Amino acid sequence: MVLLPFLNYRFRKMKCFSRYLSYIFRPATSILSCSCHTEADIISTVEFNHTGELLATGDKGGRVVIFQREQESKNQPHRRGEYNVYSTFQSHEPEFDYLKSLEIEEKINKIRWLPQQNAAYFLLSTNDKTVKLWKVSERDKRPEGYNLKDEDGRLRDPSMITTLRVPVLRPMDLMVEATPRRVFANAHTYHINSISVNSDYETYMSADDLRINLWNFEITNQSFNIVDIKPANMEELTEVITAAEFHPHHCNTFVYSSSKGTIRLCDMRTSALCDRHAKFFEEPEDPSNRSFFSEIISSISDVKFSHSGRYIMTRDYLTVKVWDLNMENRPIETYQVHDYLRSKLCSLYENDCIFDKFECVWNGSDSVIMTGSYNNFFRMFDRNTKRDVTLEASRENSKPRAILKPRKVCVGGKRRKDEISVDSLDFSKKILHTAWHPSENIIAVAATNNLYIFQDKVN
Amino acid sequence: MLGRGLKRKLSDYEENMAGLSSRQLVLNMCLTKLQTYKMLVEPNLHRSVLIANTVQQESNCCDLRSAEDQIENSLLIVSDDDMSSAISSILKDLDFVEDISPPTCLGAECVFGSFEISNSTSYLKDLAIDDIFEDIDTSMYDSDFCCPPLMPPRPPPLAAEEPLKTFPSCNSSSANNIQICRTDLSELDHIMEILVGS
Repeated sequence: MVLLPFLNYRFRKMKCFSRYLSYIFRPATSILSCSCHTEADIISTVEFNHTGELLATGDKGGRVVIFQREQESKNQPHRRGEYNVYSTFQSHEPEFDYLKSLEIEEKINKIRWLPQQNAAYFLLSTNDKTVKLWKVSERDKRPEGYNLKDEDGRLRDPSMITTLRVPVLRPMDLMVEATPRRVFANAHTYHINSISVNSDYETYMSADDLRINLWNFEITNQSFNIVDIKPANMEELTEVITAAEFHPHHCNTFVYSSSKGTIRLCDMRTSALCDRHAKFFEEPEDPSNRSFFSEIISSISDVKFSHSGRYIMTRDYLTVKVWDLNMENRPIETYQVHDYLRSKLCSLYENDCIFDKFECVWNGSDSVIMTGSYNNFFRMFDRNTKRDVTLEASRENSKPRAILKPRKVCVGGKRRKDEISVDSLDFSKKILHTAWHPSENIIAVAATNNLYIFQDKVN
Repeated sequence: MLGRGLKRKLSDYEENMAGLSSRQLVLNMCLTKLQTYKMLVEPNLHRSVLIANTVQQESNCCDLRSAEDQIENSLLIVSDDDMSSAISSILKDLDFVEDISPPTCLGAECVFGSFEISNSTSYLKDLAIDDIFEDIDTSMYDSDFCCPPLMPPRPPPLAAEEPLKTFPSCNSSSANNIQICRTDLSELDHIMEILVGS
């Protein structure tokens, strides 16, 4: 009740911002992070499951942390649907490739959920070389009343047993356990950058720099190679695969993006090896924007189908583009994420930031797209109203349940009070991984070792 | 061509130098990166390909520059060469070597390029052996002249037959000479091939 006038005022004030978006985000109802920042804690992937009930994160140390949304309770309405830790497990360990004398990083590159088919949850997690299928299940009962051992587990003396009893299940504290059910290894020479579950729920694909393999969930010692762009003569290599994804509805269709800024759509029905694309998406280069770094900034870092399956979204260094599957010669929409960096490309090349791989996501209705930037900023673009907003994932400005304030980067000379100048941006604070709840306006933003979850105020 | 002493305005010069220095800076960065990647146990394939493509494009652009720029570009020779070798070695480590041909219009390389040993190898191959010796009177070695093949040495004949004797000896030695000439030429070919590495 105290909040209402506050909200009204805010709402009014925010109305000028709400013209950008029809909803306003509250800052983190939960900020989850480790107290000590080590390299291993850096979050490397974030993914909601198909219902949005679970949120999985993977980190550089090979761990997976799953958060579960609390059921709404009438007793505590303000804790509406908060996310709390549900399960933590070590998915991948560092390995050593003895043949090549190389260490294989345990960093989790991608997590993808399988749709839920029974009480247990299944997800795929991958590092550079190996994909694993994990089963996450709950145990809230345990059997009691064994015949051969007592409650402490000690074996009973058989000669002392005079009666037989049937063990009964008694409730216990909830225990969530994760078990590795499949390990899909030794199929990739190069580093895996993507995994994607097929809509048939029986197969999935894994993509590395030069090849894409198709797996059946039941078979771990075999995979089909469906794309191979390794040239016979490696001297001719000029392009690598950067991301790949299955169509959300057509189990025969998938896309993959390249370092040259192109997207290929392939149909697995045409041939076993999909080296010939069915569609080829490429935008002709704008000669006025040509620079030394044109090739590098055109490399696509992420590709995502819309939920409808009609569009694909790609992220390159400076822009997000939306493509209609029916039009290959150019995107239908282009959004500038941080065009003010165009004049800084030389410095960004020097500190390697130009190679940062930003991801992009659709909201549930495909009307808003979101991607990250530097200085812990992330951007949202409303495709219908063409409005955009820049928000910041940071502890300092976020009181619980206060409304996030839009940020602005100042390019020219005069800097207004709340603006930040390009030269003040912190390039070590980059938001590469974000996720959007499949049906609600809840977003998860990974900022180095912190995970921010923002929820929509409107209700 | 070199050292022609072209007059130009100071502003043009400065512009060129500024553009040159930024290009130089970036190319040096490319070199540093590639060398750093080379030191890594497992170089990043994605980044290496991007940088290699960028440098390749830049060297292609360089080919299109005007002749006047060649003089300025001569300053970049060392970095481009170093870069080519750095790229080659890193890509070799990655199990591939990208064929980056050195730009053809850079100062000292022009001089070196004009030497073009490879052409002279084919020069030797294209010409028939006879043409080389067309200045030399080879009538004595013509096959029309009936000379018996090499004969075992005989005791010196009568004085009347002496003039005839010179021919067989000449013939045998001339046959040898032709043999020797032909051997020399094929050896020369062989040596040229090794030198050029073709």
